[in-house]
Amino acid sequence: MSAAPAATDPVEQQLDVDLVIRSQAGDTRAFDLLVTRYRSRIYAMTYHLVRNDTEAWDLAQEAFIKAWRALPNFKQDAAFYTWLYRIAHNVTCDWLRKKKIQGDGEFDDEHTNHRAMPGSRTMPQGFDTPDRAIKRQELGQRIDQAIARLSVDHRQAVMLREIEGLSYEEMAEVMGCSLGTVMSRLFYARKKLQEMLKDTYENPI
Amino acid sequence: MKTPSEENHDLIRWLDDEMTVGERRAFEANWQSDPELAAEAESMRWLSERLKAHLPAEIPVPHADFFNSQIQARIAQMEVDDARERAETAASTSSRFLWLRLPWLAGAAAAALAIVGLVWTQSGSSGCSTILSTYTPNPSMKAQVIEHVDAVATVLLLEGLDPIPAEKKVVGFHVHHAESDAEVATTTLFDENGAVLAVVALNAQGQPQMLK
Repeated sequence: MSAAPAATDPVEQQLDVDLVIRSQAGDTRAFDLLVTRYRSRIYAMTYHLVRNDTEAWDLAQEAFIKAWRALPNFKQDAAFYTWLYRIAHNVTCDWLRKKKIQGDGEFDDEHTNHRAMPGSRTMPQGFDTPDRAIKRQELGQRIDQAIARLSVDHRQAVMLREIEGLSYEEMAEVMGCSLGTVMSRLFYARKKLQEMLKDTYENPI
Repeated sequence: MKTPSEENHDLIRWLDDEMTVGERRAFEANWQSDPELAAEAESMRWLSERLKAHLPAEIPVPHADFFNSQIQARIAQMEVDDARERAETAASTSSRFLWLRLPWLAGAAAAALAIVGLVWTQSGSSGCSTILSTYTPNPSMKAQVIEHVDAVATVLLLEGLDPIPAEKKVVGFHVHHAESDAEVATTTLFDENGAVLAVVALNAQGQPQMLK
């Protein structure tokens, strides 16, 4: 899953390797550093899937706890973040399956007030005028609302592709389905979003 | 789930840059003759760009310090729980064999093997105990069980033991059944009337001791 954003800098990767080795030896302070390095990404992933900050917080914690328990079996044949990402994804999807959350009608304005961390790769570049910043914020809210109304499968497909940048093959592996299903989910998810955001496309905010 | 048409598959493959250069050129060439497809492609591209721009890959964790400290606390608790579980498992395993060291059975490990057999009894249809099997750690010794239903007695014959010192007091029980309590690591022996014959547990040094 090379496209899952891991530490691509060799120095950063080596730091991960060192921290993982220390963690595997039982060094909880080393693991604490790994938590600090990746908590924002993992939390973003769980949040995008469950659309609830409290649940996302708990699920992100659960992912790190499961990772700690599974660390003795981690062979470092993949990047730590890739491995952690899969654990977090499985934890969240298991939770979603249990809760059987449906996309329709679950949107809550209170849950969509997050902002991108400065410097993150998705943070819009450049400076906005106040007027443009407000418009961008409005569009962001509309997108949040539309995403929240998608089914879990469709939301997951959009997230894996647009945020994590996974290839279709990688998505199929993570989602446990065929390539054809991946493309179908992506297509219909985008069609639904397109419909929900049609007015913002035709009359840009 | 409905299956999108080949054309729609092409559309998202184009959008996600999953086409070869040749496929991409061919797909875009169709736009000249199919303005509807061109408009759809443009609309999808607009949407994809907005999604990428507005969905953060990182979100600061609320109460980040607490997030980390909670994880550390849970890990510490797990270590304690695991250690307790290991100790309980060891105690449970040990309690199964503590009979081998009971002083009231003449202090001879071989003698205690009979108790092992006794503990593993089941009530037969007659209401009497049936010893299912015996085990002798020392192969030079032999255990034989003789049951007498009328006398409500069970005799264990152990061959190959050293003579039991005269000062040792040997007490015989007719054990009907036994129950082990893993939580407090004790085993209780009952007679046929349900009365408690003996309770055995490990002391603080891990040595077996009679509680009753």
